[in-house]
Amino acid sequence: MILNNLKIAWRSILKNKLFSFINVIGLSIGLCAAMVIGAIVYYDFSFDKFHTDGDRIYRIVSVFKSKEGEFSNRGVAVPLMRTFQEGVAGVEVTAPFMNTTFYKVQNREANLDFKDIENSIMADDAYFELFQYEWLAGDKATALSGPGQVVLSQKKAEIYFPHTQMANVVGRTLVYNDSIPVKVTGVVADFKEKSDLNFTEFMSMASAKIFDEQDITTSDQWNSTSSGDQLFIKVADLSRLNEIQSRLDALALEHKNMEPWAVDDDRLFVLQPLSEIHFGGKYGDFPFNNSEHVASMSVLKSLAFVALFLLLLGCANFINLNSAQALTRAKEIGIRKTLGSSKKQVVRQFLGETLILTSLAAVVSLFLAPLLLQQFMDFLPSGINLGVLFSPQGILGIVLLILVVSILSGFYPAFVLSRFKPVSVLKGQFVKGDKGVRLRKTLTVFQFVVAQVFVISTMLVGKQLYYVMNKDMGIKTDAIAYVNLPWNNNTEQKKERLLERIKEIKGLSNVSWANNPPASNSVSSTMLTYFQDGAEMHQETEILWGDINYLKTYNIPILSGRERLNDSIQEYVVNEAFAKALGFQEPSEVVGTMLKLDTMNIPVVGLMKDFNQRSLKSDIRPLALTGNWKNRSFSMINSIHFDLGNNSEQWSESIEQVENAWAAVYPDEEVKVKFMDEIVQGFYRKEKSTVQLLKWATGLAILISCMGLLGLVVYTTERRIKEIGVRKVLGANLAQLNMLLCKEFLLLVGIAFVLSVPIAWYLIEEWIQGFAYKTTLSWWVFMSSGVGMVLVALAVIGTRTYRTANINPVESLRSE
Amino acid sequence: MLLQLNNIFKWVNSGGQRIFLLKDINLEVEEGEFISIMGPSGSGKSTLLNVIGMLDTFDEGEYNFLEESVHDLKEKHRANLYKEYIGFVFQSYHLLDELTVQENLEMPLIYKKFKGSERKAMVADMLDRFSIVGKKDLFPAQLSGGQQQLVGIARALISNPKLILADEPTGNLNSKQGEEIMELFKQLNDEGVTIIQVTHSEKNAEYGSRIINLLDGRMI
Ligand SMILES: Nc1ncnc2c1ncn2[C@@H]1O[C@H](COP(=O)(O)OP(=O)(O)O)[C@@H](O)[C@H]1O
Ligand SMILES: [Mg+2]
Repeated sequence: MILNNLKIAWRSILKNKLFSFINVIGLSIGLCAAMVIGAIVYYDFSFDKFHTDGDRIYRIVSVFKSKEGEFSNRGVAVPLMRTFQEGVAGVEVTAPFMNTTFYKVQNREANLDFKDIENSIMADDAYFELFQYEWLAGDKATALSGPGQVVLSQKKAEIYFPHTQMANVVGRTLVYNDSIPVKVTGVVADFKEKSDLNFTEFMSMASAKIFDEQDITTSDQWNSTSSGDQLFIKVADLSRLNEIQSRLDALALEHKNMEPWAVDDDRLFVLQPLSEIHFGGKYGDFPFNNSEHVASMSVLKSLAFVALFLLLLGCANFINLNSAQALTRAKEIGIRKTLGSSKKQVVRQFLGETLILTSLAAVVSLFLAPLLLQQFMDFLPSGINLGVLFSPQGILGIVLLILVVSILSGFYPAFVLSRFKPVSVLKGQFVKGDKGVRLRKTLTVFQFVVAQVFVISTMLVGKQLYYVMNKDMGIKTDAIAYVNLPWNNNTEQKKERLLERIKEIKGLSNVSWANNPPASNSVSSTMLTYFQDGAEMHQETEILWGDINYLKTYNIPILSGRERLNDSIQEYVVNEAFAKALGFQEPSEVVGTMLKLDTMNIPVVGLMKDFNQRSLKSDIRPLALTGNWKNRSFSMINSIHFDLGNNSEQWSESIEQVENAWAAVYPDEEVKVKFMDEIVQGFYRKEKSTVQLLKWATGLAILISCMGLLGLVVYTTERRIKEIGVRKVLGANLAQLNMLLCKEFLLLVGIAFVLSVPIAWYLIEEWIQGFAYKTTLSWWVFMSSGVGMVLVALAVIGTRTYRTANINPVESLRSE
Repeated sequence: MLLQLNNIFKWVNSGGQRIFLLKDINLEVEEGEFISIMGPSGSGKSTLLNVIGMLDTFDEGEYNFLEESVHDLKEKHRANLYKEYIGFVFQSYHLLDELTVQENLEMPLIYKKFKGSERKAMVADMLDRFSIVGKKDLFPAQLSGGQQQLVGIARALISNPKLILADEPTGNLNSKQGEEIMELFKQLNDEGVTIIQVTHSEKNAEYGSRIINLLDGRMI
């Protein structure tokens, strides 16, 4: 029976090649999107799933609430770690650790030097009690018990001690940061499963003092939180979470910051389950300081929706074409029923056919999937691959997907077919009544609504992106570049020397030193105090450090007052937003205000024009520019900025000279020239990837929908061939016939357009709220996307109607 | 008695008017009969045949088939009944285009849940009996009309029905082919199969043992 059904199914698939092709392609696009997106979603859901008692592992993070909003920090104040180490009821293991970096590690025996060591933490033995590593050498219980001890991951050990057995690595000595000897006490295997805990070097916590880091045993900095200070615990029992949370609340209250400017704010300690760390918790933080990727639930959800809609489009195609085709298959059903087939058997047969087509589509999509994934590689974490599709879970997922899609798309047509009464089929009454027309029209409208929403969204997102990337930010971004100076092995003299050398380069102008460029993702802010009507007021202010050339380099005008007198004088130049925040109706009046920072009184000497300090997603915030006066040993200077000039042919030569100057001063460090326009572009990486994704989704949605439309057109025109023949004999011309045939379909596309406008409008309104600066949702975008869609539909319909209208009536009227 | 129709009426409502397709049909058919139904086009021959074959319903009257009251049966039971006892032969053959001759013959057996080996034997038997062994792997489109109808009859016969209903079985055939089909019916009837056929041809009707004439849905 089954074999027989499969055989028949296969033959009828071959018989209707065009329909089968459309069905398979439509479904395979949907399936392909589902597979690729499934692999992406699966990737993000498979992190840190393997830890023993993982469901009982929690991280404690800090949340700050102030009138400016809520912020979170994945770290905690260091003394909280001590409190937990001393014992908190309900906690089984307390494992604090600190993200850290070392600027140099040496294996002196082998004469090997390693620089800028990342992915390292300071931890104690509790870390290895909490997270189970495979120990290749060393004693897990004591490896991190004393100062000057380090555990290496296998990969790291192989780098530090090439061609050495792991057992022999233990006991060897490494020299950190030029002078600190540290003994290797253990080697652990790197996790084979996916994990955000990708640390490769574990320094004993007892060494913190030697490395000038905060010491848990003595620190009392309850009000300083660094994101690298991690506190993990294992709770004894999930039912005791409330108890632990109350203790955390009590601790937060007890150690509240009572400084006048912070007294209204709140700091909370929050328990974050291990499973949420990869998703950044509530605030979307990166999992750890050294993480390169944080999964976004909302992005994954949008992706899942895209996949779902593409799948539904494929299914809609299928239902459409097959219920349309049902009429041509009615005869077969009638015969089968007179031969004794039951309804159930008919349903089973057609579901079987659907299953074959869907499986075929799945096979096709397995080939297409790598091509699709390739398109998104730029903005996906590099670990994602389609290998998961061939794992047992992946295969199970695909099989489930095939079954669900088969049932979804096959059930209705099968149901329609199974209801045919043999007698009406045999009487040939059938061709007149055409049930399901409304359903097919509805499905077609649905397809075009989805496609149209995608088109409009893509255009508007693209328009917004163009707007923000091209809007004048208030600073010069073309032909401006800078170099970041090395943060270790550096001296003020070296910085001066490089600055002098760069200033000598002929092609460059407006060379200045600074901390950050005027627009960047890194922000420093501080609380400035001022007096108003005798009362002490506080203003959170972003600070930029730069010399007196800085404003010139970036073409930022001074509106009133003056530039600072020199690079190291204690004076501020503030922006208009700052003046407004302080309550000045006329911003220029801010000049002359005295500001208090700690114990110093610093005058505002100038007002600069507002510019955007970050992407246009955020507003302009109060800002002050100042020089390098803090102290000589802790200079704020860490970058040199310059204007490459208008002659772009000269740029590469100038940059080469900058690189040469660098090499002369920092022979051991790599130089990286950053271009301001690229920095600005980088603000919108996520939006660019959204556009990329939308473009693909749109293209595919249009493709599927148009194929569905084509199928429907083929079917309809074929049924009307005789009518067309008659009309032609009666004198209708080609244009009239085409119009006659197209009208019905264009109406559907038109209805879809009307429905899609408010949907797209609503979605884009939501999305664009994420920007402080918004492009207008112009009517012409909607209109042109509608017109575009009609033209595409017309092209699809036209190919077919033209042919039909051209058929010689003698031919179409000959039979019967 | 194989079947019995008592006061069968069938009508459709159209524009507030009741149009009768069958009017007061009374008919008894014994096993082994060979009946020809005749009448002008549109007189209700096909409708009657379909009612007898349980493919179509009726509005009034009683229909007993082998002691079962067809008018009281649910659709599913009716389907089981005709699946078991009735074979259909159509004017336009109605073979499944996607299936070979052999597979067409096999189809009813599959629906009756015969085992694979049994099916093979029965199909081989039937191919042999109708001398179409050489055509078994051809598709319907590759056969002449007469050959297709042969296959149609073979298919109707394969599960040993008690009754064969044939609606103008020779309507699409030339006279020589038609004659062959009639000879075949005659032979089957001699072997004990009950046959009811619709025909326009007096000559073909003569093959039967009884002729029923219909006019406007009424037996005359
Ligand atoms: N479902 C129906 N609705 C309306 N009229 C019908 C229906 N089925 C059959 N008829 C009409 O009933 C009459 C008898 O049809 P039929 O039995 O096919 O005649 P014939 O004797 O040619 O086989 C015809 O006039 C036909 O149009
Ligand atoms: Mg008829």
